[in-house]
Amino acid sequence: MPGILEILLTPGLNELVLIPGLPLLAFLVIAAFMLRRSEGAAPLVLITALAGSLVLSIRALSFAGRQRAFTTAFTWLSSGHVTLEVGVLIDGLSSVMLVVVCLVSLLIQVYSIGYMRGEIGYGRYFAYMSLFSGSMLGLVISDNIVQTYIFWELVGICSYLLIGFWYRRPAAAAAAKKAFVVTRFGDLGFLTAVLILSFQRHGRLGWHSMFGFVPLEHFVNAGMLSSGVVTAVALLIFSGAVGKSAQFPLHIWLPDAMEGPTPVSALIHAATMVAAGVYLVARTYFFFAAAPVALFVVALIGVMTAFLAASMGVAENDIKRVLAYSTISQLGLMMLALGVGGYAAGAFHLTTHAFFKALLFLTAGSVIHAAHTNDIWQMGGLGRRMPITAITCLIGAFALAGVFPFSGFWSKDEILSAVWFSHIPGHMIIFMVALTGVALTAFYMFRLWFLTFTGAPRTEHAAGAHESPPVMTLPLLILAALSAGSGWLKAHVPWTTGGMAEIVRFGDTQERASTLVVGLALAAAVAGIALAWAAYRAHLIAPAAFHARFPWIYRLLKNAWYLNRGWEIFATRVVIAGSSVAAWFDRHVVNGMVDGVAWLSGWTGRRLRTMQTGQAQFYALILILGLIAGLVVLFSRDQSLFHLVAHRP
Amino acid sequence: MSVTPLPPIHGYLVVSTLLFAIGLVGVFARRNAIAVLLGIELMLNAASLNFVAFWRYRGGGQMEGQVFVVAIITVAAAEAAIALAIILNVYRRFKTVNVDQINLLKG
Amino acid sequence: MIGAIWESLHSGSLWQPLAFVCFAAIVLASGLLVVLSRNLLHSALWLLSCLAGVAGLFFLLGAEMLAAIQILVYCGGIVVLILFAIMLTHGLGHTDVRVANQQLLWGSIGAAGLAGVVLHLLSQESWTMGVAAEPVDVTARLADALLNPYVLAFEVASVVLLVAMVGAIVMARAEPE
Repeated sequence: MPGILEILLTPGLNELVLIPGLPLLAFLVIAAFMLRRSEGAAPLVLITALAGSLVLSIRALSFAGRQRAFTTAFTWLSSGHVTLEVGVLIDGLSSVMLVVVCLVSLLIQVYSIGYMRGEIGYGRYFAYMSLFSGSMLGLVISDNIVQTYIFWELVGICSYLLIGFWYRRPAAAAAAKKAFVVTRFGDLGFLTAVLILSFQRHGRLGWHSMFGFVPLEHFVNAGMLSSGVVTAVALLIFSGAVGKSAQFPLHIWLPDAMEGPTPVSALIHAATMVAAGVYLVARTYFFFAAAPVALFVVALIGVMTAFLAASMGVAENDIKRVLAYSTISQLGLMMLALGVGGYAAGAFHLTTHAFFKALLFLTAGSVIHAAHTNDIWQMGGLGRRMPITAITCLIGAFALAGVFPFSGFWSKDEILSAVWFSHIPGHMIIFMVALTGVALTAFYMFRLWFLTFTGAPRTEHAAGAHESPPVMTLPLLILAALSAGSGWLKAHVPWTTGGMAEIVRFGDTQERASTLVVGLALAAAVAGIALAWAAYRAHLIAPAAFHARFPWIYRLLKNAWYLNRGWEIFATRVVIAGSSVAAWFDRHVVNGMVDGVAWLSGWTGRRLRTMQTGQAQFYALILILGLIAGLVVLFSRDQSLFHLVAHRP
Repeated sequence: MSVTPLPPIHGYLVVSTLLFAIGLVGVFARRNAIAVLLGIELMLNAASLNFVAFWRYRGGGQMEGQVFVVAIITVAAAEAAIALAIILNVYRRFKTVNVDQINLLKG
Repeated sequence: MIGAIWESLHSGSLWQPLAFVCFAAIVLASGLLVVLSRNLLHSALWLLSCLAGVAGLFFLLGAEMLAAIQILVYCGGIVVLILFAIMLTHGLGHTDVRVANQQLLWGSIGAAGLAGVVLHLLSQESWTMGVAAEPVDVTARLADALLNPYVLAFEVASVVLLVAMVGAIVMARAEPE
């Protein structure tokens, strides 16, 4: 194992350490020197760092394309049979993810210069953003599970800090706390998996060194690892992903997380951090490949989340919350892809989603800035006033809905194909549900677009809105280009979409295209768009009438299927009931034992005290009775008096 | 002097044991302190009797048996004097010599 | 038959066990009465009788000097002392109050138990000892023992008596006003 100095000095290796290192360095610089300003150089430091990381990531990407995988590590800490390493891993999956994170983060920081201008805490914002960027890059580039977990938690902290950026607002503080606590719930499972693995593998925890390049089945068949343990570990890792990627049932934190600034929502809660869960499942896919039960669970939860979240997005009126539910839904689709064996499809959708969701959030941010409200019913007619924003948003909407030839079409199509051709039980039903989700997605997205950008302005603010400054529109344009064009990556640069080694290993080599699937997907998207146009632009259908006829549907969706309420009941009733049992146990049994010892001493003392009568005759009597007992015992064995007395000659 | 056959030693030992037991009852069961002292004297005498019996039945050559009895008698005298002085003091303090009424050490 | 008894009396073959039985009976009976008498003064006097019986047993065993000491010191000194104490503590007037305390039952059981255990143990032994001739010059040899090998014990005994005397005087005198 090379030491850290060797890593830093060896050409090639030091670059990789810099990829997360530069933003973390930026964090230190900003935190040390630039916290007090409300204008100034802080974003420039970060942007410079991110640009450097981007260049290095692109180099790594080209490197990964030529080779199979590259990993190196040095031993950080070794104790007993546990060895902790620090290292980096470059393969198809990680290098693509690095480029995406660097690029999106860079664009969003540029956007933030305009968005956060004049805010108190400007410096603090960029400090947190740089810490986050460094942590996310560190997570992606980690080569062992412990290091991944460390960065996982770091990313969670940054999320908490950034959601609660305007901490003086109670809603923001509450949302930050909720996000942290809910993801913690999932992280507990992840940590348990780390612990189980560290016991099982005796410290060899690197992704590739853990089991070599041999599929896990061989270990199970050879009896070295029980299949129950593999399934358990897979499910526990997945629970961490469920928390971080806001899957059902731990999705409740993401809509509330919209309390943070919009660029934060764009970066963390759309493009990157929430994708970390999907990334983790992809990273540990060799576990899931050996545990079909876990894979099925992943697929099931993925499709459930996709459908539920899309349905909730339909009833939302806050522009950011619609996009939040959309994110949850798309992450569900990614999980579904992974669950049915479409490893490459899931990874591909991860990258396209990062681009168009970030784009959508940034446009939403511009709109909110211009119209001074989050409520889409208080907007309208912004298309004429903010043309660049409207066009880029439209591109993003098409990408999200999955319309040809935008990127979302290609990635969504791959996912649906993977489901169609998979062999898991009930895959047709799952396909139907996913397809419904696609239709709903198109519907709510275009409902949003029509209500925001078309028609007549519904408030004065909307009427007086104007386009954002170039520092904000430029990132929009770049992201729009990426959202439109990254679909062709799949066709022409296949090794970027998910890592050759993994594809070869997990047998997803056939990309069977089916015209039927493509047609169905396109039809669903078009149907959704048409319905939205009919209801909200051409006013051919009145939503109000629908509400009147099916009020319960509307109520169900508006209240997010009452899931928040469900968790609240769980937390207050179940958890507290459990803790009162534990508290009772502690008070009466544990405390009781201690008190019992004291009581026992007192009771014994009281009983024994009666022996002290103060009367000498009583003591004499006891003495003689003891003597008799002693004599009996002494002489019962040996009948002769004289044998006990030493004879002196 | 003619050699007269002695009764076997058992007799003396039985007498001394019984006398000791009688004295013990007196120590345990009498209320008056002086009665307790009488019981003690009985026990001491039982011990002396034991000593002299064994002296005689070991031939009478070694005088230790008798010497010890002298010591016993001496000590009995001293002890009786002291005990009675104490009883006098107790009587003055408690106005009673009933042993079971003197229980200040009760705890 | 009377002639045979007289003969054996003269020849001395019967009188020893007989004397032993008599004295033993005196000792035990007096002892019982010491413990059981309701009147404390009677108890003291029965003690006198018991001690005299013990002295007789000493005579039978050939320890004449010891018997004399027993009578002089025990009967003549200690019992008198006890009588004085009885009178000084007004132990005489309470003949109707109960004599025994609440430990009578268990005390008797304890004493009986001890006696039983010891007697049982004694019965296990075979006391075969050589019975020698009547010892000669007992008193002289006692005196020699007291003044030669055991002179320390002798002197210490006298010191003990002195200390006891002083202590008893100190303790028993009337409190200074």
